[in-house]
Amino acid sequence: MSLYPMYARPRSVEEAVGLLAGLSSGAVVVAGGQELMPAVNSGTLMPEVFIDVAGIEALRGIDFNEGVLSIGALTVHRELQGNALVGEHLPLLANSASQVGGGWQVHNRGTIGGNIVAMHPLYDIAPSLLALEVELEIADESGVRTTAFADVLTDTRHGLGSDSLLVRVLARPQPSGSCWGYQKFKSTGGAYGSANAAAIVQLDGQSLSAVRLVVGAAAEKLEVIDLSHIVGKPWSEDVGRTIEAACREAISQPLSDQQGDAEWRRAMAGVVARRAVQQAINSQREEGAA
Amino acid sequence: MEDLLHMSALIQLRIDGELHELEVLPNATLLDVLRDEVGKKGTHMGCRTGHCGACTVMIDGKVAKSCITLAASLPRATITTIEGLQQDGEMGPIQQAFWDEAGLQCGYCAPGILLSTAELLADNHQPSAAEVDQALAGNLCRCTGYQSIKRAVHSACVRMYPDQETGIEEG
Repeated sequence: MSLYPMYARPRSVEEAVGLLAGLSSGAVVVAGGQELMPAVNSGTLMPEVFIDVAGIEALRGIDFNEGVLSIGALTVHRELQGNALVGEHLPLLANSASQVGGGWQVHNRGTIGGNIVAMHPLYDIAPSLLALEVELEIADESGVRTTAFADVLTDTRHGLGSDSLLVRVLARPQPSGSCWGYQKFKSTGGAYGSANAAAIVQLDGQSLSAVRLVVGAAAEKLEVIDLSHIVGKPWSEDVGRTIEAACREAISQPLSDQQGDAEWRRAMAGVVARRAVQQAINSQREEGAA
Repeated sequence: MEDLLHMSALIQLRIDGELHELEVLPNATLLDVLRDEVGKKGTHMGCRTGHCGACTVMIDGKVAKSCITLAASLPRATITTIEGLQQDGEMGPIQQAFWDEAGLQCGYCAPGILLSTAELLADNHQPSAAEVDQALAGNLCRCTGYQSIKRAVHSACVRMYPDQETGIEEG
């Protein structure tokens, strides 16, 4: 291997995973580069080989077939915000993509695949994907496998491992009649969140019949919050306090970093979670009133 | 597999209207190539982390932070830098608006902010104040407090589309 980094631009998934299998862990996959290049610039990451997957057609495009939305790993945040299929079937994802930091510049180049593979606890898209219970199509030399997103989430920030390539994200539409909320608590406009929460809520009249709630940016790993004990109840301030308490309990090891210290993060996780559920319910009421 | 690995990449960039064929190193950023290979010094290096937006250019009409864009990943692309906003050797309407409204003080962030303005106004002839904020969210300015920048965006919009009402409040 050369002392200088090398570059490869595979034209197919097979070529890319062949390269990954044959190279050491010093090879990195680059798509939009928005996660990777800051680390390369600072010298904290010194790849031996850049495997540029931007030329692989199979990683592009958004289509809807047999009730499943298939989103190519190279889909950038700006496409998620504006795509009609995503807007219709996964409005929660479209909204959280619009809240990614860094401005249009990052939204124009950052990809859903890079966002997932980075496994960065502060990122915006992952809580929504976990709330939506998406599956991932992942390729390696032995072929393509489909895995639940929840099963590949790690707290190592090492993504999928050194020999796999994320090909597509598969999502079922948000349940009909459900409502959603996404809340990001941040100190300044473009900043990372100090806590964020994605909620998908189903109502039966005034009562909460199902709540799927994911809290991010407060701990190394996303937390799915068990809210089975509030199902069947109508929204009240008391239910809100119960949600906050459930989050504080679930976040046993809060992050403590530039985004805020541990105890505050734990508290804010509860606040954003309550607000996300409230946002969902309010949107339903507005729709009903309209 | 070995024949897929290269010590460099050949890329074709049309930069501010001029075609350049370049051989770039695998880890070179678009910023490095623009400044050091092509001499486009109007594109500023700020943070190299993607936070500040001073290095913003347009790639195929869409803004990007050139310091975190791998040059090799652009085999064929059209790039617009701040130098491409001029018209016939004179300042273009966006540049003139920023000049007249003092939309810059030290000017370090200005190239990026003008490019973000250019993308906004290319598609949106009547941006609201909130849309201007959104379009400029990826650019930091430490001098102006942004108010003169917003006035400049409004003024640029009026110059480019004199028949349209803009939703931006006049400052």
